[in-house]
Amino acid sequence: MSNTDDIRWVAQVALLGDKGAFDKLTCKYQSSIRRFFLNLTMGDGPLSDDLAQETFIKAYLNITSFKGISGFSTWLYRIAYNVFYDSARARKHYDDIDEKEIDGQQHTLSEFSAEKMDIYKALKMLRKEEQTAVLLFYMEDKTHKEVAKIMDCPLGTAKTYILKGKEKLSVYLTNAGYGNN
Amino acid sequence: METTDTDKMLKSFFDEQKQKVEDNGFSQRTLRNLPEQTDRTWIVWVFALIGVIIATAIAINTGLIVQTLQLLQHIPVYYWLGGVFCFPLVGGIGFYFAQSRTYRLV
Repeated sequence: MSNTDDIRWVAQVALLGDKGAFDKLTCKYQSSIRRFFLNLTMGDGPLSDDLAQETFIKAYLNITSFKGISGFSTWLYRIAYNVFYDSARARKHYDDIDEKEIDGQQHTLSEFSAEKMDIYKALKMLRKEEQTAVLLFYMEDKTHKEVAKIMDCPLGTAKTYILKGKEKLSVYLTNAGYGNN
Repeated sequence: METTDTDKMLKSFFDEQKQKVEDNGFSQRTLRNLPEQTDRTWIVWVFALIGVIIATAIAINTGLIVQTLQLLQHIPVYYWLGGVFCFPLVGGIGFYFAQSRTYRLV
């Protein structure tokens, strides 16, 4: 499943409106996009699925604007990032989210609750931009350059977000005993 | 702690937390919710037809069709039979590889 396949499927969708080809793209990227949203929403499964679906629908409608300069994955994450922050602004999810709400969301997710508590606790210590940058860099294996493209910010800023996030997380994880192994 | 050690620790932490999210019908639901767009597959057929017309015109003008038919008359009947019986074999092999590639993609 290479980038060549992505380009071929994108061309089929853009030129022929081929939904089958778009389905292949969805199957390939659904896991990473939904995981990205799950971590950003602190484990809110239904909200993550809604946002992921919105991301794929927007990608389908705007697929002709994909120029192939960056990879399809980077382009898709860029849409996902915009969808998340638009939604956060609309729901006032961005800053107003409180402890009770997070706990309630986590209880709705049986498969992600117990094991994911640590990562959510750790991520909650970061600013939203740092969370996004750290998740993209460490969890989704994006490069600094790709993180900057996805977040639409200068490379130096993306590096700063990752660095600051890294510093905060390293203190948290060391205190939690992760660095002692 | 050294930067590289911190990086390793964070990488290891995030790798532990990294899970594959099962599809569970998500792709199908997304596919169903895609808005309808004009089907443009006719473009393929139009270009295919144009290609066939051009190829046929060239073949007729250069006498290629007549030459080919004359050539075919000289091929022994056993060669024809061999070709016909080879077709399912070659087609089958091609189909097998096409199928295995499809499974890999999905």
